Amino acid sequence: MGQGRPVPNVVLIALLLAGVVAWLTLPAVSVAPNRIVPGTPLLAQEALGWGVTLPALVPMLAVVVLGWRPEPARLRLALALVVALLAAMPLWLSAAAAALVEAAQARLGIGAALWLLLFLWLLALIELRARLALPRPLGWALLLPVLLAWWGCLSLWLAPLALYREYQGRSDQFLDAIGQHLALVGAAVGAALVLGVGLALAMRRYAGLRRAGFGVLNFLQTIPSIALFGLLLAPLAWLSARFDWLAALGVSGIGWAPAWLALLGYSLLPMVRNTFVALDEVDPAVIESARGMGMSRRQVFLQVRLPLALPVVLEGIRITTVQAVGLTAVAALIGAGGLGTFVFQGLGQAAMDLVLLGALPIIALALIADALLSALADCLRQGGAT
Amino acid sequence: MSTAGSGAVRLRALPGWLGPLGWLVLLLALSLGMGWLEGLLRLVEPDSRQVLYARASFLALLGQHVLVVGVASLAAVLLGVGGALAVTRPAGRDFLPLVSQLASIGQTFPPVAVLALAVPALGFGTLPIIVALLLYGLLPIVRNTLAGIQGIDPDVHEAARGMGMTRGQILRQVELPLAAPVILAGVRTSVTINVATAAIGATVGASNLGDPIISGIVNGNTAYVLQGALLIGLLAITVDSAFERLQRRVGRRGVQ
Repeated sequence: MGQGRPVPNVVLIALLLAGVVAWLTLPAVSVAPNRIVPGTPLLAQEALGWGVTLPALVPMLAVVVLGWRPEPARLRLALALVVALLAAMPLWLSAAAAALVEAAQARLGIGAALWLLLFLWLLALIELRARLALPRPLGWALLLPVLLAWWGCLSLWLAPLALYREYQGRSDQFLDAIGQHLALVGAAVGAALVLGVGLALAMRRYAGLRRAGFGVLNFLQTIPSIALFGLLLAPLAWLSARFDWLAALGVSGIGWAPAWLALLGYSLLPMVRNTFVALDEVDPAVIESARGMGMSRRQVFLQVRLPLALPVVLEGIRITTVQAVGLTAVAALIGAGGLGTFVFQGLGQAAMDLVLLGALPIIALALIADALLSALADCLRQGGAT
Repeated sequence: MSTAGSGAVRLRALPGWLGPLGWLVLLLALSLGMGWLEGLLRLVEPDSRQVLYARASFLALLGQHVLVVGVASLAAVLLGVGGALAVTRPAGRDFLPLVSQLASIGQTFPPVAVLALAVPALGFGTLPIIVALLLYGLLPIVRNTLAGIQGIDPDVHEAARGMGMTRGQILRQVELPLAAPVILAGVRTSVTINVATAAIGATVGASNLGDPIISGIVNGNTAYVLQGALLIGLLAITVDSAFERLQRRVGRRGVQ
């Protein structure tokens, strides 16, 4: 990559120009008189007039111009502009809400143009972060002003936003659902970690168990989640009818029990695979020299093999957690609670904002879990290197 | 290897296909003859008047399921491999970092959430499911195609160019065959996820093998749930074992 040479950054230019087209031609918001009636879509210029729509093009086109000669200083300016654009979006929505929504029941929906702009500008952010080689934590920190702007606008002016209305109607349930979701993911990943590490250790000792174990776990992983939940329904219902103490624990064909069991089954494969590979791939020379220093088998395992294997084990925890966040959403179908409840309720009532209220936090949870656990793995790796 | 030898290999390869074939036969037999299991299903749900899902024939539901997954996966393969190849050519190389980042970030999105987001954008029915499956299925294919192409030793590239091969020839005779096992692994992941996600599509108005499960849960009829779950599980295993077989063949050809 010639840093000094003025080779236009085609990616940035394409993303921002696509954004300009979306801004001018697609509906930016929709206004509905109440929850049931579908909204009337409005273009940006129909919502707030050309007086606001055209000036908004200035920063977008400025980024295009900056991308034409992508020197680091210009790219940094472009980055600031993209962050500013992302932070300005809730402000624009607030203005639109003030201008368009009068009745108490009316709702403002976010239109295709804004969703697309959000997507394109976030891509531009990723591209700029990569070109400027900014460290990952700084990339997340860049989102902070954007999140602050959304939070401020939501609490001050964006009450008519349909998504926010859905949230206000069930804010207690929402927090409960997040709690249930996290509890189920945590319980499944925690149990999978304990069982998985144990299983991986046993597999290192017994080759027969290794073959059979991986065979069973691979087989389990190919069964679709909805089918596994269904297949667990009958035996669990039978067990809880048969044994009172199980029923007293809350075990039944639907609810948390089949969800947890299925999640555990799916979580075991990535966990066992990563732990096994991690323990197996530690350089034999390192083990040899540790043994040579007079360490016992136990010491070698606890002080050498395990710490060296830890980053890869953590990678397994990351994969497992992200996967479990998604699968728990499906578990709402069998009454396990969590954020998936809103998704399926919303789909059942054709209330799309309720679907979003469930789906967006699920995605956010998956992304946060991914980011936190990768950051932790990076830390460990650096710690191990020194 | 002599011609007689390769003939023997082909004969020996046949028993390998018996696995997927056996699953397929079981799947079809059960879709046609779920009635045989009525007695067993009665045991699960003794109080219900009806234990056999009868709103649609299982074969039709299976067909719908396979059709939706097939269309979405085929489009995902074409777009995913095509896109990944485009960004590894000199002309599209500018987009490579973004595409590879997008493919890895996108995979942290839960498939259910992607399906749920497709409905507000596209409405109910089969179309949003196909689009959601296509979009989500793209990610592992793009990621693996990139990994496969980028994993090729630069010396191999250099040698091919030294032999006077054109860019198109290098792509067809060197890059694609060498990357094929990795690409195929991506396709397998993609199709496996799609089979599972399509079933959840029954909640957004598509009729497929997810239907008996959803309707069983709604009506509290465990027998319906079992029938749907059994068939979806069999379908997933059939597809997966076929891919495993295919991978083994492609892998062996790559080594030779």
